[in-house]
Amino acid sequence: MLEEKIFLKKDLDKNMKNYDFIGLKKSLEFTSEDIVKKITDSGLRGRGGAGFPTGKKWQFALSQESDVKFLICNADEGEPGTFKDRFLLENMPFKVLEGIIIAAYAVKANYGYIYIRGEYSKAIDIFERTIKDAYHMGLLGKNILGSNFDFELKLIKGAGAYVCGDETSLINSIEGKRGFSRIKPPYPVQRGLFDMPTIVNNVETLATVAEIMKYDENIYATLGTEKSRGTKLVSISGDVKLPDVYEIEFGSGTLSDIVKLAGGERGELSFVVPGGLATSILKNDELDVLYTYEDLEEAGSSVGSGGMIVVSKDHDLVDILLNVSDFFVKETCGTCFPCREGNRNIKEILLKLKRKGFKEEYKKTIGELREAILLAARCGFGQSSVNFIYSVLDKFFHEEVI
Amino acid sequence: MKIYINNREYDMPQDISILDAVKKANIKIPTLCYVEGMDPYGGCRLCVVEVEGSRTLVPSCAVKISEGMKIKTHSEKVRKVRRTIMQLIVASHGISCELNCLTCPKATSCELKTIAEEIGVTKINIPPVEKYLPTDFSSYSIVREPTKCIVCGRCIRACSNIQSVNIFTFANRGPNTIVTTFMNEGMGNVDCTNCGQCVMNCPTGALHEVYHIDGVWNAINDPEKVVVVQTAPAVRVALGEPFGMEPGTISTGKMVAALRLLGFDKVFDTNFTADLTIVEEGTEFIHRFKEGGKLPLFTSCSPGWIKFIEHNYPEFLPHLSSAKSPQQMFGAVAKHYYAKKLGIPKEKLIVVSIMPCTAKKYEMNRPELAGDVDFVLTTRELAKMIKESGIDFKNLPDEKYDDPFGITTGAAAIFGVSGGVMEAALRTAYEILTGKELEKIDFVAVRGLNKVKEAEIEINGKKIRIAVVNTLGAARKLLEKMKNGEVEYHFVEFMACPGGCIGGGGQPIPSTEEVLIKRMEAIYDIDYDSKLRKSHENPAVKKLYEEFLGEPNSEIAHHILHTHYVARS
Repeated sequence: MLEEKIFLKKDLDKNMKNYDFIGLKKSLEFTSEDIVKKITDSGLRGRGGAGFPTGKKWQFALSQESDVKFLICNADEGEPGTFKDRFLLENMPFKVLEGIIIAAYAVKANYGYIYIRGEYSKAIDIFERTIKDAYHMGLLGKNILGSNFDFELKLIKGAGAYVCGDETSLINSIEGKRGFSRIKPPYPVQRGLFDMPTIVNNVETLATVAEIMKYDENIYATLGTEKSRGTKLVSISGDVKLPDVYEIEFGSGTLSDIVKLAGGERGELSFVVPGGLATSILKNDELDVLYTYEDLEEAGSSVGSGGMIVVSKDHDLVDILLNVSDFFVKETCGTCFPCREGNRNIKEILLKLKRKGFKEEYKKTIGELREAILLAARCGFGQSSVNFIYSVLDKFFHEEVI
Repeated sequence: MKIYINNREYDMPQDISILDAVKKANIKIPTLCYVEGMDPYGGCRLCVVEVEGSRTLVPSCAVKISEGMKIKTHSEKVRKVRRTIMQLIVASHGISCELNCLTCPKATSCELKTIAEEIGVTKINIPPVEKYLPTDFSSYSIVREPTKCIVCGRCIRACSNIQSVNIFTFANRGPNTIVTTFMNEGMGNVDCTNCGQCVMNCPTGALHEVYHIDGVWNAINDPEKVVVVQTAPAVRVALGEPFGMEPGTISTGKMVAALRLLGFDKVFDTNFTADLTIVEEGTEFIHRFKEGGKLPLFTSCSPGWIKFIEHNYPEFLPHLSSAKSPQQMFGAVAKHYYAKKLGIPKEKLIVVSIMPCTAKKYEMNRPELAGDVDFVLTTRELAKMIKESGIDFKNLPDEKYDDPFGITTGAAAIFGVSGGVMEAALRTAYEILTGKELEKIDFVAVRGLNKVKEAEIEINGKKIRIAVVNTLGAARKLLEKMKNGEVEYHFVEFMACPGGCIGGGGQPIPSTEEVLIKRMEAIYDIDYDSKLRKSHENPAVKKLYEEFLGEPNSEIAHHILHTHYVARS
């Protein structure tokens, strides 16, 4: 029986007043280079969905020569099925804040933003208070905790666009521009917010940084597998008995084990979406796969954002497809043609499927559209927008040959 | 820098895009949203290529080459993706029976068609998307049909990158994304200058001029009406293009012949009133210069520029020359002088202009100018009418303009290019101010396609600083500098379009830099080959002053040939 590995979820009972900010205090005694090295050594990968090594990003950011750099905490958690960042913001805002300050110190950024999705009203209230308290406690502002480091932090509320979770779109949004992705390169680390070097990190990534920095030794590097270090917050929802946020050590169990940890399925299990709607599904007979970046990739899916959705056989697959398609049609930013027009047409085909029944040609056309979108869309959000739909069609729909 | 394109090694300069590098290797990658000289947008994704080591395909317009890069421009994978995207674009383009390609304004210059061929699209599996978007008829100059729009944003970038006017924006999300104007007010109700650079840059027929073709046919067919036509200087070096002639072919004689065949009663030349403009504007400059009037003097021939300054820099309005543009001077002279000469009421005289310009359609409707010009046809519209009449344009024998408004000078001809009005004015102002004949008639410093050109000349021992500006983006920059006191001039020529009227919004499409250079060279050829090259030497202009206007800037000249401006901010 799989058990949770409590690393990040420590200190749940604490608050701003009785949390000690040990990670921050220790960090302020190190040089930036030392912190970046420790994070690099920890093997931590970005928890927003793309899984880019955090240490590498910071190294790149640190090497940028600029008087002004920005650090942005990406809390625009919009991936359907994902609510682990909300969990952190509502329950451990102090740890998220600690991670933000450490990251800023490590990359030498004196200004920062936390961009929280507008629908998270409770998280916004809590974090607003957290920032205010932090200024009173000397955790933000000039000479943080008596050090030479100054850091200002502002909270920005998102206006409800999925694409603003993409870092370049998020930067546009903060600048007051239309939420659509920028052309890379230049990468935000080179030229981001207001054309200054900008580091964008996910909430969970930053909270993990705070925890890693607490210990003299690098505990994180001993957890998980070689390619998937540490633990991951998995938010499980759908047809399970105990939907919640669970902390899983990479490689400690399979997808089936995680479903069991969440109380087991309700009804007869049909398939699981391992990492949010941008990832491909795995059917009930494919769940014997270890929860790591590499194993899920090999199985044709991804860790994604950690938003796991369990789906039983009690649902109409076509309705699910249409619902998901509707989401991506509404949320494609409309800039690049493959994503905008591709998703629009996929929905048309799915409507036809609902009216007329399945035909092999539908799958073929959607397959072609998916390939064009996957290979040519402008941002990661677009590229992954057909994974779910295509994998359901691929695994469940076959024309009956008479 | 060494790179590999389709397995062959090439040595390329640093810091260029993949697209430019591939072009140097004589391979063409299809592009749609990309326009040379404007910021890459990376929206259409047709220019994607395979780059070894990259998980996804790479947009070649937006990514620079790097040492040892291995690029595949037309692999099976790339071609397949391009075909799929092209199908999606065509499906979103709103083709239906009413929007048939046959009737499209871009029927002969459709980029979608060209690109579809380049990509090798043989069938479209995706049905067209139905759109219900109203056509914008609010402007005097330009019609916008959003059903044909593929949302590539080229009009937005032309309006902002080139012109700094910024009337267009994206609105809504996802597939509902549309290009629109502020608060969806329509092009006629925002700060649009009517310059038509959006039309020139639209790859589809979603933007086109307001057609006056039907009105002109009705006038020609009305036996009660005497229909006269004037042709702007930049039309004659571009009109051959829609008939397959090389850009820069001078087709003045064929154009005159074609206009007669179409049924115009008299064929006149706007160049005549360009000469008149120079005499009026030159005299105005001399007055201001001698008597300490408002300087620098700004030229006022470009109606796009006029609307731009009215909206954006009303504090500079007193600098504008009060002289009407050559088109409006022609209209006024025709209605007030020529009609009398013919002995007909002016209502019976119909004045049609052939212009390289969309803003002229707005200009003729300005309340203070209305009534003098009845219709404005763009170069493109004229080509349509010639085709529609079955006229074999290429093989027409040359014919000459009618008198009296057919006698013109080389100074008038160069009105069609950026720097031309300035040069023409200097030729006249110099001789009037000094009383001496100009030795070196060509002011080369103000020629060429550069957006800002400056020069200093000496007249009677006094230094005169001049500047010549084309595109409104460059105009904005210069006016800002002037505001901050960074620059000082005595005389500035402003033209709204790239290269001046030769790159006007009514010209044949495409008007690339290559094409503009050829048109420009042709204009200067016309000037060189002219017997008369100074406006004040035009005998017909002299005669008009003798018979009707008195002298330059006289009371009657002011009444007929000058106008005023409106602050619109």
